[in-house]
Amino acid sequence: MSATDCEQEGAGWGILEDLPGDPMIWVLIFSELAAFGLFLGAFVVARALQPALFAAGQATLDAHLAGINTIVLVTSGWAAARATAAARAGERGRARGWLFGAMALGCVFIAVKLTEYAGEIGLGNGLETSPFFTLYFLLTGFHLLHVGLGIVILAVVFRGARATGVETGTAFWHMVDLLWIVMFPIIYLVHP
Amino acid sequence: MAWLTLIGLALATLLVPTLVSRPLLANALLLTFAALKGRRIVLDFLDLRAAPALWRGVVSAWVVIVVLFAWLVSAVVALI
Repeated sequence: MSATDCEQEGAGWGILEDLPGDPMIWVLIFSELAAFGLFLGAFVVARALQPALFAAGQATLDAHLAGINTIVLVTSGWAAARATAAARAGERGRARGWLFGAMALGCVFIAVKLTEYAGEIGLGNGLETSPFFTLYFLLTGFHLLHVGLGIVILAVVFRGARATGVETGTAFWHMVDLLWIVMFPIIYLVHP
Repeated sequence: MAWLTLIGLALATLLVPTLVSRPLLANALLLTFAALKGRRIVLDFLDLRAAPALWRGVVSAWVVIVVLFAWLVSAVVALI
């Protein structure tokens, strides 16, 4: 197989090539959105079937800590967007600075979430306490894993700070942000 | 500007449970704010404003479908 053949095989993402970053990250993003969408739908249906149980569980959550985390993650997303703009302008040093800020705020999110978990576990709530807490810990825990993975991806693109790499890393990070924006009110605030 | 809008909507979200006592209205406000924040992230952070309408529509539709489903289910439970 010639080098030209390889290049032609490497292309061929079709309309996915019109999206910012590497098309492969968008395959992952669409898969994650589908999975979290179904998971959140299951949470909503389970709450409709057991409204009193879910209301009791929700009342023990710390919505203020989760609200602080919303502000932390939104600010981190903004820093990531600035990093993309800087990388596109060829300002790699500035892009690295913004990426560092985004990663640092991601670490703050994890710290706040772990503090929240410690409080909930301290109250005697765990994975097997009730269907509410099973879904709560699975949903937020799965999201927390994505925050950790997002920080790793941002760290990978940090070194080169090239436009395509930064676009790819920050696209995943914004998806993590988007998921939390939708999850937060549904889990913590919406009345069952 | 996008950041300020998102922070404003996040703070408004936190105030809804205190200021709005009617559950259906509170849920509608909370989920509308979530959809507005999601739209901002899709257009300004994910940078789909300049992307083909198909992709902008797919990701925006995901946000709308999830929040609308959550509101509709809560409304059905409240009305039963």
